[in-house]
Formats: sequence, structure tokens, C-alpha cells
Amino acid sequence: MKLISTLRTINKGVAMLTGIMLLACAAFVLLDIVFRQLGSSFGGTDEISGYVMAIATSWGMAYTMLELGHVRIDLLRSRCAAKSRCLFDLFSMLVLSGTIVLIALKCWPVLERSIKHGSTANTPLETPLVLVQGPWFAGWVWFAVMACLTTLAALIMILRGELDDTEQAIGAFAEADTLK
Amino acid sequence: MIAYVAIGLLALLSLSIPVGIVLFLLGFGIDWFFSSFPLIRGLGNMVWSASNSATLIAIPFFVLLGEILVRSGVAARTYAALDRWVSWLPGGLVHANVATATMFSATSGSSVATAATVATVAMPQAEKLGYDPKLFSGAIAAGGTLGIMIPPSINLIVYGFLTQTSIPQLFLAGLIPGIGFAIAFIVAVAIICTIRPSLGGERRVFAFSEMMGALTHLLPIILLFTMIIGSIYNGWATPTEAAAVGVAGAFLIAAFFGGVSLTMITESLYGTVKITSMIMLVVIGASFLNFTLASAGLGQALDGFLSSLGLSPMGTLFVIVLMYIVLGFFIETLSLMVVTIPIIVPLVVDLGFDPIWFGILMIVLIEMALITPPVGLNLYVVQGARKDGTMTEVMLGSVPFVLVMLAMVAALIAFPQIALFLPQALN
Repeated sequence: MKLISTLRTINKGVAMLTGIMLLACAAFVLLDIVFRQLGSSFGGTDEISGYVMAIATSWGMAYTMLELGHVRIDLLRSRCAAKSRCLFDLFSMLVLSGTIVLIALKCWPVLERSIKHGSTANTPLETPLVLVQGPWFAGWVWFAVMACLTTLAALIMILRGELDDTEQAIGAFAEADTLK
Repeated sequence: MIAYVAIGLLALLSLSIPVGIVLFLLGFGIDWFFSSFPLIRGLGNMVWSASNSATLIAIPFFVLLGEILVRSGVAARTYAALDRWVSWLPGGLVHANVATATMFSATSGSSVATAATVATVAMPQAEKLGYDPKLFSGAIAAGGTLGIMIPPSINLIVYGFLTQTSIPQLFLAGLIPGIGFAIAFIVAVAIICTIRPSLGGERRVFAFSEMMGALTHLLPIILLFTMIIGSIYNGWATPTEAAAVGVAGAFLIAAFFGGVSLTMITESLYGTVKITSMIMLVVIGASFLNFTLASAGLGQALDGFLSSLGLSPMGTLFVIVLMYIVLGFFIETLSLMVVTIPIIVPLVVDLGFDPIWFGILMIVLIEMALITPPVGLNLYVVQGARKDGTMTEVMLGSVPFVLVMLAMVAALIAFPQIALFLPQALN
């Protein structure tokens, strides 16, 4: 289905940006180690690494979902026929979407508080938390939207009887394939 | 509450809902049924504080390091070099499988990546030289499990993060058991192949000059390991920073051998993001479940449950070990570790056991889970790299190594110093 492949393409781009951010963070940490040996330091690399991790995590989630990368135990599922497998997959996507929407909603108060109080981190850098919690929150909203769209697409495909396509979109890889 | 968690966990997992989501759902359930205070208000803060972590960023770094090494062709050269060194033993090339896996474990934090790497380079050799496929593939599957024992180890980072235990100490504690495993595997293979020479292949002795020449191919990996571990214990770098050092080292090695290209870098980054998010969904879910369980008073419930059983601490430990072996047949390993840590570790510590020691014991049990069917990730990985033959062959070939692991469990319980000696000596 076109929607799924579009979502995959977009999220591949997102994943690439996330990867580059992680790479840049590694370079930054490395520079700090070198500078520290020379007697000076940027300071705050720990804090920045934490922010990078939080943002990378939330933005990478949707990509992993679309690449069928989130681990599922398919002991029962794999023993079923194609039709029931699709029902397992659809159910699991519905539950995932619901949970992620709830998480995204509950992440908002965290950001809201930082905006309202203009909170800064309790660190030497005094980072305004809005700057880092904003992108972090956006990542979870992105994941929630992607999950709902994928579920919708899967529902349509199942109703149309396109079971193979559904499995491609929201199925589970055999455990070994997940790792390739 | 214990029954609720156990039954809920198994029921939701068997519905094939993603493991991370299952952990959140259990947390919601605990909140709903067992807590007088609405814990869900803490959800956003939990998600933020569990992922805003300078400790956990070591995970993508170590994953990236492994991806770079795998894609740069270093593995094939290491394998060929180790072949020169160990193929004179009874069992021949099988020892090269164990030795290569051990070396890669010292730079990789993941067992599956280690097994996949070794399998890809070793399998073509097995057919060429006429090896019994069972023992040959079993050695790769088992050797690969060392990835999470020998530092760096992603599983130990996650354990340290969730239990507030020192990660450098955990890394140190894993060193002796890890090397012990490598030696025990090699001895086991040598004994098996002395009794039944048909299981091993041809033994080959290489000239001394050839062995020395091969050393140059081992140097990069040894250097990388020294860089990562050395920088931690010299106090130059935290485990996170050491992981960044490792990434740079891996790039240098790959560049030196001409393995760096744009495709290789982009593929490595995709792999890193995918595996990191997969791990993090589970870790964040576990942190939330951790929080709800603690707030709802799981500790008291467990204490009550245990005193009703009337077991001694050793008896309880025995039950726990048994539980891991059984669950290990069915549950994917990182998930097994993460879902049980919030429940089991506080209990074990209450009984007077050392959390660092228990971390290592848990890793051994998790390693066993990786090579026991029906759900044993390393078995699938090795089978995936084979061109023909059945899964059963890999399973059979893993049996001797499972026995070695059981022996290690017994040894760790009898002599906790195997794990604790290094951390205590260097503290």
C-alpha cells in the first residue's frame, strides 16, 4: 500500500537524521575527552548526551516500528494461519497505538510545566528545558501519529483482504530476520 | 499482585504485543488495581527521565561500533588469523569459532551481533574443510553468547541502569567468567573431538612464521579492547565516553583496511537507530513498571510470599535459577532480563546476595536462554547463515555448551569470587 511505503520513506529520512545526531554526539564526547586530557573541558557533555539520547529515542521509535523492529514474542502467532496472524498483528498495532497516544498525552504536562515556569536544568549549563523537551515531546507525538496511520492502513488492507501486504506492513519477522 | 504480574505478563506476551508495550500495560494495570494514588500522572516524567540518560547513550555507541566492525570486513581477517593459532587442537577450526567469538565479544556489546558476525565468516569454511555441521554451528551460537558477558556489554549496562549498580564494576565482574567460558568451551570441544574425532575436522599445524604474521590481523581488535576498557579503568572516560572512543577506534580500523564507504556508514546508522529504539522501548517500559511496582509495595508482597514458602536464601536462589532456565526457553533474552529485573533483583538483594554477582549469574542464565530452543536467538542467527541443513543440527551442537553453562551457574553460586574477585581487588 502506498501510504505504508510513504511512511517508511519519510521515517528512513528521520532515522538518518537521528543517526547523524548520535554520530555527532559521539564526536563531541570524544573531543571533550581529548580536551580534558589537555587540561580544559567543554563541561556538560554528560548532560548533552542525555538530551541527545532522549530525543534520538523518541524519534527513532516510529522507524523501528515500520521496520518491524520492536520485539514481539510470536510463539503462538507463528503457529496460526495467515488470516489469524493478521488479526494478531492488527490487535497488537491497536494496543501499541493506544499506549503510545497515551504516553504522548502524558508527556505534554512535562513540557507544559517547563514552558510555564521557564524551567532550566539544575546544572552548570542551565539549559532551558523547553529546548530539549520540545523535540523530545514532538518525537513521541510523531510516533503516536505514525502508529495510528499505520494501524489505519493495516485495517484498510485487511478489510480489502490484502493479507500478504498486511503482513509486510505490520507483521513480525521471524526472529532471525529481525537482525539483518 | 505477584500472580497478577506473572499471569498478565505471560498472557499479554503470548498475544504477540510488543514487549515494551506489554510492560507499560502491566504498569497501567498495577496503577489501576493496586495503587491508592494515580501513578499514571508520573508517566511523562518516567519516560523523560528514563531516556534522558547519559549512561544509556552507551547503547547506540556500542551498537554502532559493532555495526562498523561487522560491515568493514575486519571479522574475516580475524577469523583467518585465529585459525592459524588454534587449529592444531583436536577439533581444528571449531576452536577458531570460539576464539573469534571471544575476540569480538571484547569489542561488541551484543551476543546476537557477535554470533552473526562469526557465522558469516565461518560457515563457508565448514563446508570446504569438511566439518561436522552440528558441533561447528553449536560453537558459533554458544561462542556468540559471550558478547554480553565479556565487556563491553549492553545487557550489563541495562542491568546497571535499572538496578543502580556500578557499570564499570559489572564490566570487571564479567571478565573472569567470560574468559573462563572461552577456555571451558575450547576444552569441551577438544575433549569431545578427542573422543569422537569425526565431529571435528582436520587438524592443521601452521608454521611459526605464519602464526606470527597472523598476529598483525589480531592487533586492531586487541587494541580496540584495550582502548575501551583501559580508558574506563584509568579514569579517563566513563563507560559512555569509552563507547564513543570505541566508535572512533572502529572507524579508524575500518578506514585502515579500506572498509569505509558511504553505504557502509548509512547502513550502520540505520541499524543503530533501529536496534537502539527497540532496546529503549523495552527499557522505558521496564522503568515505568519498576516505578509502579515499587510504589504499589511489591517488596512487601514478595516478602510475604517468600516467608509463606519457608525457603532458605539458597533455596529461593535455586527456585529463581530454575525459573530463568524455564522462561529462557520461551522468552527473548533482553526482554527476559528487563521484565524480571524489577521483580527479582530487589528480592535477591534482600536475601543478602551481592547485586553485582547476581548480575553476572543472570547473564550466564541469559546466555543459556540464547541457545536453548524453541526461542533461542543465536540458534536462529547461525541457522540463518547456513545454506542448508536443519535447525535441529544447530540445537544438538549447542548441547555441550549448555552443559558448560550449567556448570558455570553452579560454580558461580559455589564460588562467588569468580565474579567478585576483580571488582573487589581493583576497587
